[in-house]
Amino acid sequence: MINFNARLSAVALACACLPSLSFAADPSLTNPAISAVLDGYYQNAERPMAERVEGFGLGHTELALSANIDDMFYGKLTSVIEVHDGETEVGLEEAFIQTLAMPYGFSMRGGRFLSDVGYLNNQHVHTDAFSDRPAAYRAFLGSHYFDDGVRLDYVAPTDLYWSMGVEAFKGDGMRAEDEHGEREFKNVGVYTAYTKLGGDIGVSSSWQLGLSYLRNENGRLTAHEEHEEQVVAEAGHDHDHSHAARYTGENTYMADFVYKWAPQGNYKYQHLTLSGEYFRVSDYEPLDDHDHDHEAVDDHDTAKPDAHTGWYLSSVYQFSPNWSAGLRYGQVDTHLLHDEHFDAQKLKETEVSLAWHHSHFSTVRLQYTNQQGTNFDGITDDNVITLQYVMTLGAHGAHQF
Amino acid sequence: MRINSNYLKAGVAALALSFACGAQAKLNIFACEPEYAALAKELAPDAKIYAATTAMQDPHQVQARPSLIAKMRQADLAVCAGADLEVGWLPMLQMKSANAQVRSTDKGLFYAAEHTQTLDKLAQVDRSMGDVHAQGNPHLHFDPERLLEVAKALSAKMVSLDPDNRPAYESALADFSQRWQAATGRWQSQAAPLQGKKVIAYHTSFRYLFNWLGMEQVGDLEPKPGLPPSTGHLASLQGRAGQGDVMAIIVASYQDERGANWLGERTGLPVVNLPMSVGGNDDAQDLFGLYDSVIHLLLGVNR
Repeated sequence: MINFNARLSAVALACACLPSLSFAADPSLTNPAISAVLDGYYQNAERPMAERVEGFGLGHTELALSANIDDMFYGKLTSVIEVHDGETEVGLEEAFIQTLAMPYGFSMRGGRFLSDVGYLNNQHVHTDAFSDRPAAYRAFLGSHYFDDGVRLDYVAPTDLYWSMGVEAFKGDGMRAEDEHGEREFKNVGVYTAYTKLGGDIGVSSSWQLGLSYLRNENGRLTAHEEHEEQVVAEAGHDHDHSHAARYTGENTYMADFVYKWAPQGNYKYQHLTLSGEYFRVSDYEPLDDHDHDHEAVDDHDTAKPDAHTGWYLSSVYQFSPNWSAGLRYGQVDTHLLHDEHFDAQKLKETEVSLAWHHSHFSTVRLQYTNQQGTNFDGITDDNVITLQYVMTLGAHGAHQF
Repeated sequence: MRINSNYLKAGVAALALSFACGAQAKLNIFACEPEYAALAKELAPDAKIYAATTAMQDPHQVQARPSLIAKMRQADLAVCAGADLEVGWLPMLQMKSANAQVRSTDKGLFYAAEHTQTLDKLAQVDRSMGDVHAQGNPHLHFDPERLLEVAKALSAKMVSLDPDNRPAYESALADFSQRWQAATGRWQSQAAPLQGKKVIAYHTSFRYLFNWLGMEQVGDLEPKPGLPPSTGHLASLQGRAGQGDVMAIIVASYQDERGANWLGERTGLPVVNLPMSVGGNDDAQDLFGLYDSVIHLLLGVNR
């Protein structure tokens, strides 16, 4: 964890120094944009694997600084301040540089950044229409997967939007549980590849489709040792609020879509957003050193699970500049390793949210979640009600599609 | 490195050109708003021009959608109003489209507001003031003199990007200037009866038009820029309209008419929907048609 005072004073120093430098005329591009996000809530219960706790709490309190460094590089720093069990922790969610002037539609990003897999992952959580990410994100990506690494991205020169990219990450947060701390993990643990296609349908509708693959070298569960008596993985048991993925596997496949509609393409008054994603996480069973064990498991156990899966469908309608409502259903089907066998788990979430927006920068949201868990720890109440505010201060950057 | 790649691109382009039987190299132009697509069309009739928004869309609130990224990726020139009008989406398009050519005004990025004086510049901006622009009002295409200044600067930008076709750009500009100045004189004499007229309007969308024609906006349907009309605010406007000197209630083609209609019903004032830009109604098919239509509609209520 980063030293709280040092980080804050560094940001304060940056804030104090930068405006005194003389930049060119356009502040949106050349002066650093400084922004903060305030997020606070009250909820009556918790959602499994989520970061928000029962009662009053603060969500992602962000402080971000971004600017073009010169004509070649753009830089962004996003620090997230979280309070867990009375401890204030400062985390770095983003600290990256990106190239601005590579030819032929290429760009590179390096440092700590949000992976571009899936649809929601590269979006900041404060832009979400629901207080927590879908269960699939919480289970497989630690709510939102950011890490230290590099990305190479390419946008094709076509009228149909077509981009593709590859990323390599350290992958610490995506490591499989290692109870004994004896496992040797690979230093570069995660590789991803993604492609996105998108376009318009007439003037009112726009769409985007994405396919992603995430290779996690450290995603397979650690082999169970015969003489050990404890379970290997106990998801949701230690409520540590880390951003680590709860379920990992060597191969994760993702498919996503988003469709947006506004009357005549005018987003000022009404618009509709439909989105959905599907996850399949496979190859997580521990590799057995002893061949006969493997077969034995096949023989006398019930159907051997081949993948964790998860998906969600979300619909958000903004019916006036001040009000929007959302409906989301999502579920995950996972398998928890107990000794020699896997226990099937299932979590189904049906969520409704109603948000009031006084302006683009202030939102107050009321959300109701009905959660149905099978073999899931951490469900104290099937009905969760969250009242939340999300507000942004300062020069806030443009939003993604 | 970058210079080399530009040479390479130029080489490839030259090669392509020679294979295309001497066809003119066309500029690929991305216009943030339809008024600048129309202006670009006047100044570079052969260019490939794409308008990112229509007159029915609020240019403050545009999604940085995939189709726009794809179009910007291929652009040689991006023409936008500037003065922060596109601040909610243009930077994201620039980041996502990975096209260095349209990232800086040194190259193929053009902000109209940088080439004329904007009205209502603010020394200090606070969010409590609403969605305001410190660099002044960006809806400057409704002032014919300012638009002509922008046209000259835009033509010069086209020449700098495509110097081989300098004569074509210069003759297009001369032709446009001549027709535009003639039309400006005609519009001014037509609109003379509008001088001194008072209106209630939505946002400051027609700030330049009213300024040019000597009209006065005495009330704004928005309590603060970017905020929708509230009932309390509409009631206060009803009181203002009661003074009897207001000619009409004006909304732009992308704005919601409900607040205006509510006020119109209670005050007996006509509600006029003016095209915000080219394509805002059937008559406004180019910049000349846009001005003709707006003046015609205003004179229609004044009669």
